[in-house]
Amino acid sequence: MNASVLTIGQIRAGNVCIMTLAGRIDSTNANDVQGELTRLFGSGEKSVVLDLGAVLYLTSAAFRVLLVASDEAERNAAKLVLCSVAGHVRDLFEMGGLTEVFTIHNSRDDALKQFA
Amino acid sequence: MRRTIDIRLRNTLVEIGAARDALDSLGSEFDMPMKPLVQLQIALDEVLSNVVKYSWQDDAQHEFLVRITVHSAGVDLDIFDDGQTFDPLAAPSPSPLQPGQRPLPGGLGIHMAKKLLDDVKYERIGGCNHITLCKRFDLGAVVERNEK
Repeated sequence: MNASVLTIGQIRAGNVCIMTLAGRIDSTNANDVQGELTRLFGSGEKSVVLDLGAVLYLTSAAFRVLLVASDEAERNAAKLVLCSVAGHVRDLFEMGGLTEVFTIHNSRDDALKQFA
Repeated sequence: MRRTIDIRLRNTLVEIGAARDALDSLGSEFDMPMKPLVQLQIALDEVLSNVVKYSWQDDAQHEFLVRITVHSAGVDLDIFDDGQTFDPLAAPSPSPLQPGQRPLPGGLGIHMAKKLLDDVKYERIGGCNHITLCKRFDLGAVVERNEK
């Protein structure tokens, strides 16, 4: 299996910060994602899209991070939305009963429209 | 016939990566299909992170054992640790969320492992926790080929 390393990328689309995750998110690296999201909200980002389109799989450690990040966004009057949650990654969200907990868009474009 | 490898880990989250990589290597060696391999990786991460976080209450370094067995009918993962008695299967499954309700962090991992695998077993034996994770899929032809 490839993609053993988690890659965290970041690009901008106007006032929106898009964080891209690629690879696997598990208990060995979920804190890296949390650290980056905390840094973003701490630096004043108000609109963050988390693109999970290149995620191979994630574990409950990742779900905990997303829940914490969602709370952090709320505390900072910011908005965090997810996009490109597909295939078995979506199955995992459904298994955890989490599809209704987060705002999830089918594509990055759809997510960006929310901030237009 | 079967192939078994043992991995000894210390009780830190970063060490879990060694078991993950070993399972990946076996996945490549035996041409395992992606879906069951991913399901095994998720379940392994859930159980090992529980062991690291809950089996020992002191700050000392401890070791535990992960045994990966590949056989013609699938993969078994056995985890042995000498920490305090901890039966992850005794934890209740998370309740279905009501509209507007937020899930509490934690408690989800073992629920996912049970859903993703064919069998999850726990026993306390000889002062150790022993968890077995089983995923069944056909590896017969590859196991036979690799034995030649």
